[in-house]
Amino acid sequence: MPRIIFLAAVWTIVTMIILLMLPNLLPDRKLLTYNDDELRKGALSKGMLPVPKDYSGLLKIKDNSEKLLTIEKIALGKELYFDTNLSKNGDISCATCHVISKDKKHHDSPLVNGLNDSSNSKVDCISCHLRDESGTERFSASVGEDGKEHPFHLNTQTILNSSLAKYLTWSGEVNSVEEQAGLSMQSPFKMAITPAEVEARLKKDSKYIKMFNDAFKDETASANDTVSFENTTKAIGAYVRTLLTRGAYDRFLDGNNSAISPEAKRGLTSFINLGCKGCHTGMSVGGQVIQRFPLKDFFIVEALGFSTPFISSSDVFPFENIGGYLGKDNEHLFRIPILRNVTKTSPYFHNGSVSNIREVVAIMGKHQLGLYLSETQIDEIVEFLKTLEGDVVDYSSDKQ
Amino acid sequence: MFVTGLLQWDVIDIRWEYFRIIQATHIIVSIVVSIFIMIPFVNYHVYQHVMIDKRGSKNGWFFGAVLLLITISGFYLFLVGNRGGDTYGSYSFYIHLYGSFLLLFLLFFHTRKPKMYYLVPILLALTIFNSSPMQAGETKLSSLKIEGNLSKYHEQDWTNSAKCKSCHSEIFNQWADSNHKNLVESNPYYMVMEGLAGEVEGDDFREWCMSCHNPSAVTTGQKKTGHRMDENLMSNSLFEKGAKTLVDDFKTHEKPRLEEGVACVTCHRITKAESKGDASYTLDLRNRERYVFEDSKSNVGQWLGEKFINSNPDIHKKSYSNELYKKSSYCASCHDETSPLTGKKVVSTFKEWEKSPYNDPKNPEEHKDCIDCHMTYLKDGKFAPLRGTSTDGGKIKKDVKVHYFSGSNHFLSGLKSKEHEEQTVQLLRTSAKLDVEMKDNQLLVGVKNVGAGHHLPTGVADFRELWLDITLKDSDGKVVLSSGKLKDDGNLGEDARPFMKVFGDKDGKPVGLLFWRYETLLSDTRIPAGERRVESYDIQGSEELKYPLSVVVKLNFRIYPQWVTDAVQKTNIQLPSPGVIELNKIEKSFQKK
Repeated sequence: MPRIIFLAAVWTIVTMIILLMLPNLLPDRKLLTYNDDELRKGALSKGMLPVPKDYSGLLKIKDNSEKLLTIEKIALGKELYFDTNLSKNGDISCATCHVISKDKKHHDSPLVNGLNDSSNSKVDCISCHLRDESGTERFSASVGEDGKEHPFHLNTQTILNSSLAKYLTWSGEVNSVEEQAGLSMQSPFKMAITPAEVEARLKKDSKYIKMFNDAFKDETASANDTVSFENTTKAIGAYVRTLLTRGAYDRFLDGNNSAISPEAKRGLTSFINLGCKGCHTGMSVGGQVIQRFPLKDFFIVEALGFSTPFISSSDVFPFENIGGYLGKDNEHLFRIPILRNVTKTSPYFHNGSVSNIREVVAIMGKHQLGLYLSETQIDEIVEFLKTLEGDVVDYSSDKQ
Repeated sequence: MFVTGLLQWDVIDIRWEYFRIIQATHIIVSIVVSIFIMIPFVNYHVYQHVMIDKRGSKNGWFFGAVLLLITISGFYLFLVGNRGGDTYGSYSFYIHLYGSFLLLFLLFFHTRKPKMYYLVPILLALTIFNSSPMQAGETKLSSLKIEGNLSKYHEQDWTNSAKCKSCHSEIFNQWADSNHKNLVESNPYYMVMEGLAGEVEGDDFREWCMSCHNPSAVTTGQKKTGHRMDENLMSNSLFEKGAKTLVDDFKTHEKPRLEEGVACVTCHRITKAESKGDASYTLDLRNRERYVFEDSKSNVGQWLGEKFINSNPDIHKKSYSNELYKKSSYCASCHDETSPLTGKKVVSTFKEWEKSPYNDPKNPEEHKDCIDCHMTYLKDGKFAPLRGTSTDGGKIKKDVKVHYFSGSNHFLSGLKSKEHEEQTVQLLRTSAKLDVEMKDNQLLVGVKNVGAGHHLPTGVADFRELWLDITLKDSDGKVVLSSGKLKDDGNLGEDARPFMKVFGDKDGKPVGLLFWRYETLLSDTRIPAGERRVESYDIQGSEELKYPLSVVVKLNFRIYPQWVTDAVQKTNIQLPSPGVIELNKIEKSFQKK
């Protein structure tokens, strides 16, 4: 018997040591690698396309046409986009939530100007965040007229590249930026204004009457009817269709191999191979499909205590279920978010419950793909996501 | 089991990477073997020989008793630990260690079959492990260095300070409300200054600020400091006690947000300090002695990791402490600043101390390092070294080095904790003495720096206000002389004579908030350590005055001038204005001579 104890003890110890040493002993698994050109080819063949550099390319995008994107309409849309008069109390404009700067000059020194401005006792978030050019105010829930928070605690999605998406909003029930422009103005917890009021206000402004006439004279029978709610949404839509961003990722797809780092390339490889691109696809890298979330259920594993990545108030989502939103038709159906500029648009998920992008990638891997991504994989994917950051392309130069 | 236990003995002193595996193996295997093999076997064996065969052996019973003691002491070491505070821990350790020799002897004696060669393959297996060499790398705009062949750290390298709380709760709570923790996003003054620096000098310039204020961000490659949001509002960390957000975030999220400020591991993993200021320190976060499961994400793993540390805490302690940490030259790696734009010294607290009488290593009675004042507990206005523990359940120490980091900023830490405010105010009040006399129609007020081992004030001395508030009245109560009063807008009156330095830019104009543009010194009225400064005030028409005259002189201190607070309040409406602290007060009356 003592021999058995010894043997058992020795074997347990030896097995234990071998198990603990396994990671050091096993050779690294050789994963498929691609050279830069193969990777680009793979990405392009999956529909991951670069944003066009010039106006002619812009027109080739589906739904865009020369008639839709005239210089007059874009100019009018831009004016309307930044006009707070389009909201009930005249406090907010489209740009209040979808933060971008009207003029690059505003970037220069908003904080210095704000601190030196004795007429204003407050320096707001914009002072630091205007320079981000993120197309969203980065709140966890959007705030509309009268300071009303979104009833379902949904946050503002970036307006940049949104015209490239097939579906819009978190539920994906809207199909064009024009439609959404109209809905956002009328929504009681956004700009809270009626179409009639919009028309009435715009008709009081001779500047707008002229601009509307210039933009829509060919489309409307009588010159008096050009200032209409429908044309307002069309003009805003035209401007939003020009809000596309280009960055390192686009330069890589255009053929510049040194535009993104080797780490980002490995991230892109994972993005394609692990299945992220299955949903986050198209020129906008997202917005083309409606999908269920969370897809995979890891409840049992968590209940056993082996992994407690988050505590949720219920098990509906792998994060806190603030707002109780359950997606389209309460079926956990969500429009796949656009990943361009994602690193500039924290907090994440529909209710802004998670602020760290590495955690988001881990959650997406686990609950949508059923994969526990390694720290290295997460780092590389985040490195790739950073290359999706970009600046708004200036299409005005070659239009004229 | 005996060998793996023996290898952990500090007499043998094996390398850490072997140690940690052996420790974990020893504990896990012992538990498995004792529960599943040993206890059933002993029961069976005793039953066989005592109950059935009716032939109990004396050495067998003795062997069993020792085995029981070893098992109990082992479980005690595992579940409670050997933390130093309770004697049972030490008893268990000695019983477990020396008892095991006895047990082995008894085992051979009892079985009469020593089979030592079974242990050979274990020793062989252990030699397979290997380790990696260390080299030094560098980052720019600051002198911060990272140990090892690395250009930056990973977020996961920055062990969250909330993790340390489970065993060092008292120290954690002191640190949590201190200015070392709240150095970045919960310090609105810093956020404005870093934002300004980035806007005025370009975003790259932020690195100069961040390498001392926000080392975790700068070493993980972040270019600017972000702030936490609490839903749609700026996180209200200004009044938050005990680093609540940090602790909650650590509990809730698998990958919590990178923590701000000087974290536990920032100071406790510095390996070298060059005393040149501007973050001239070397960090080594990677090559730490990590116990098995120490960094585990799962509950079970975390629990086991803590047990492994507690059952053998000596190595943990050694890997986070260093004789260097007691020296002033260590603090100097951040508490001196040189503007990278002009090359001028902005802050020279360490240099001031070096020249002061407090720097006297040959005379240990007189010599005082930074921690002797700034990390020593104060009670009733006097240094009163705190008797207590730095680890929950740990050894009682005569002088626990408290982590309030009392300095001069009573205000920001005071918003969170009154205890912190009191510690700082008490320290401030030990710094200066006042005297007053009248001579030739002049009021002479002397201020002596009696307690500070550096200039008074030091640090960012262009943003500190230390001044004399004087009221001289005649016998009717009419004010004859008044100086150093606050104006209605909260700013210091023009007649006040603050002890401070005023920076000018290259054209000799005051730099205002942009202190890094300091090129010419416009004035310097600070009081060096041990020196006395006399301020004289003319008394108008003293011939007609009605004696006796009575004077009240106060030495006042304010952490930020009102105009600086005004600017910061524009960005943070919750920020109150810092109050004036009376450091010293003297009243005297003068008779006609």
